[in-house]
Amino acid sequence: MEKNTGAMIQTVSLGLFSLVLYFLLYYFNEPILDLSKQGGWYFIVFIAIAFLFSLVHGAFASHFWDFLGVKAKSVKG
Amino acid sequence: MIIRYRTNKLFVIIGLCLLLFFEGSSAQALELTAQVDSGGFFDLQLEHVLFLLIVGFIGGLVSGFMGSDGTFLLTPAMMSMGVPAITAVASNMCHKFPRALVGFLKRTKSGQVDIKLGLVMGIFASAGVLYGASVQTEIRQVFGDVASNLYVSIAFIVLLLVVGGYALYDALKTYQLDSGTKKHHVTKLARWVYSINIPGTMMRFPSIDSKVSVLFIIPIGFFAGLLAATIAVSGFIGITAMIYVLGVPGLIASATGLLIVFIIGLGGTIIYAIDGFLDIRLAMILLAGSAFGVQLGTVGTTYVKDFMIKFVMGATMILVLLNRAFKVPVYLSDMGKIEPLSERAIAILDYASFVMLLLALGIGLVLIIYAIIKGYIRYVTQRILAEEQRVFQAITVEEELYPTIITQLSPTGRFERILVVSDKSKSSAYAEREAIKLAQRTDGILSAMSVVVTNPEHESLARELIEQENRDVLTHLETFKNKAIKAGISCETSVRHGIQVYQEIVNEAIKNQTDVIVMGRRGYTGLKRVMMGSNTAKVIGYAKCNILIVPPMALIEGRKILVAVDGSRHGDIAAHAAAQMAKYFHAPVLLVSVVYSEMKKSRHAETVEIIKRVESFMNKEGVSVEVEILGGKPAQAIIEVANNKGVDLIVVGSHGRTGLDKMLMGSVSDRVIGHAECAVLVAKG
Repeated sequence: MEKNTGAMIQTVSLGLFSLVLYFLLYYFNEPILDLSKQGGWYFIVFIAIAFLFSLVHGAFASHFWDFLGVKAKSVKG
Repeated sequence: MIIRYRTNKLFVIIGLCLLLFFEGSSAQALELTAQVDSGGFFDLQLEHVLFLLIVGFIGGLVSGFMGSDGTFLLTPAMMSMGVPAITAVASNMCHKFPRALVGFLKRTKSGQVDIKLGLVMGIFASAGVLYGASVQTEIRQVFGDVASNLYVSIAFIVLLLVVGGYALYDALKTYQLDSGTKKHHVTKLARWVYSINIPGTMMRFPSIDSKVSVLFIIPIGFFAGLLAATIAVSGFIGITAMIYVLGVPGLIASATGLLIVFIIGLGGTIIYAIDGFLDIRLAMILLAGSAFGVQLGTVGTTYVKDFMIKFVMGATMILVLLNRAFKVPVYLSDMGKIEPLSERAIAILDYASFVMLLLALGIGLVLIIYAIIKGYIRYVTQRILAEEQRVFQAITVEEELYPTIITQLSPTGRFERILVVSDKSKSSAYAEREAIKLAQRTDGILSAMSVVVTNPEHESLARELIEQENRDVLTHLETFKNKAIKAGISCETSVRHGIQVYQEIVNEAIKNQTDVIVMGRRGYTGLKRVMMGSNTAKVIGYAKCNILIVPPMALIEGRKILVAVDGSRHGDIAAHAAAQMAKYFHAPVLLVSVVYSEMKKSRHAETVEIIKRVESFMNKEGVSVEVEILGGKPAQAIIEVANNKGVDLIVVGSHGRTGLDKMLMGSVSDRVIGHAECAVLVAKG
């Protein structure tokens, strides 16, 4: 029970963080699009966005599946 | 039979859902084509976001299922929505390179990456990306978006025809052979490559332990980069060429491939972003779906047979090929290279192309989900059968030994089912040895487990890595099993996967109805020693059974067992466990209780009472007892007396504190475990 609560808190926190990131992406959609069109050195912003989203959302997805018990097959010998 | 019926029913349900999906999606097929501005960026509407999420999920699922680089679905899917090819390629590359970096860093720690080879290939791949991106940009600027779309489509058709066709052929071959064991052997081509000596170009690579001319690596790297910049797919070429042309073992090729995918992905993203072709919104929406899909696909591969993976790969590739092929006449017509097509013909071809894409997505989704569910049900059925057999065996053993202590009904102090945690480290070797000895003493049932820390997010670009890790760990466990059998103990082994090691250990213990978990302790010093390994501490906190911690060099020989009691129920549980251990090892017990110096007067009488009660219990159990009341800090006092009196096992109770509770209040057990030179048994009720 305690274990499940801990895992759930972790999963929900990552999910909320991920949700906030996607909300920000939606909210700042137009300025981001303008930067995309300008190109040039703004590429740094996109690399940072890609890393941040990938780390947070990727961690959320893996905790989500792990919490649901979807994990690689245990091998018996 | 029931299982077969259930899976078939499931298959029908999935099929019906898919039909509904097709129905809805086909009706909106042409409406999904978005308004694109001059820069190639389009006005994202809710339906586009939903479509991208679904495409991302299924694309990720196929990608994780196939390993290496299965994101070939995503570029054509975005193009079918009306996204210009160059933006689709840029967004596809951007959404996956951070994942490749994380996977690469993890694999580097495990020593599975040939960094030198990866960097050399990465340099030439970057040149390929640069060239490929400049060709793309040039085509778009000179001939427009239609020509760029045609160029990308033709590249897809050629690649998917070769790779998809071969995958289907290989699936058939693997199915007929029933997939044998995969052993690495250096190909004839690789041996020829090693034999060529071109002075001034030779480099030695650790993974192949041979010198290879860089002139062979240049075209491989360059072509992988070129392909990535053209269609956002490179893994097929890079990893396959490393295995067959350079003779790199499959595992190292997959791990090194992560470095190359990262370099190519980062390079491509930067180039396209500088030129203003990257739509980060598309990339991140794809990521939202694909992160879930890719992990499910990666996990799923462990439940399905190899030929199924290849079949899915081949089938989806051929459908994506058709998706692009139907569009070629439209592009040629738009460019005026063939007789202009009628509007109706264009609409039919567009529709056919879109249906092919939906079929690719649908078949990928249905086949994978079906294969995973079927494989999972097969696995669970086998597990249940094995469990029933084990319980039956255990009952038989108990009846034979009746009326020994093993048949007692209370689980407290029972040491019948022993689970040893092995991680190939030196510290776990001591735990393994003591676990075998304990099983001999108690006539116990021994099982050994290892946890492979698997995060599908890291492994998703190279699923072969999970298989290899499984094989390594199983080999180690097999060695242990043989040792146990030689000692006259039967042993079962299991490998579990998960993000949290302690959680897997606790779950395995619950599943096996384990009485005692045996774990090693690393020879930490200083603060680390006080804190112990966090996994050990967490197992103690969360496990419901006893935990035996064996530090390096510790031997349980039955010289003396120390048990610390404090009047609490946890202390009584420890006393009970100590009495049982004393019987198994025919050892005397040293019963201690610690009184804080500043509370000595008020607590002394109370402690005497506690000790008397436990001593009387021990006497009734026929255990020889020596009593001592100690002063000072509990953990320090217990360890000092254990060292002075030649104790080889300390038994303590556990309050089972975890998290903040533990941080604020500390734990005598933790300190004893952290500092003791002998084994420590944490008894739990």
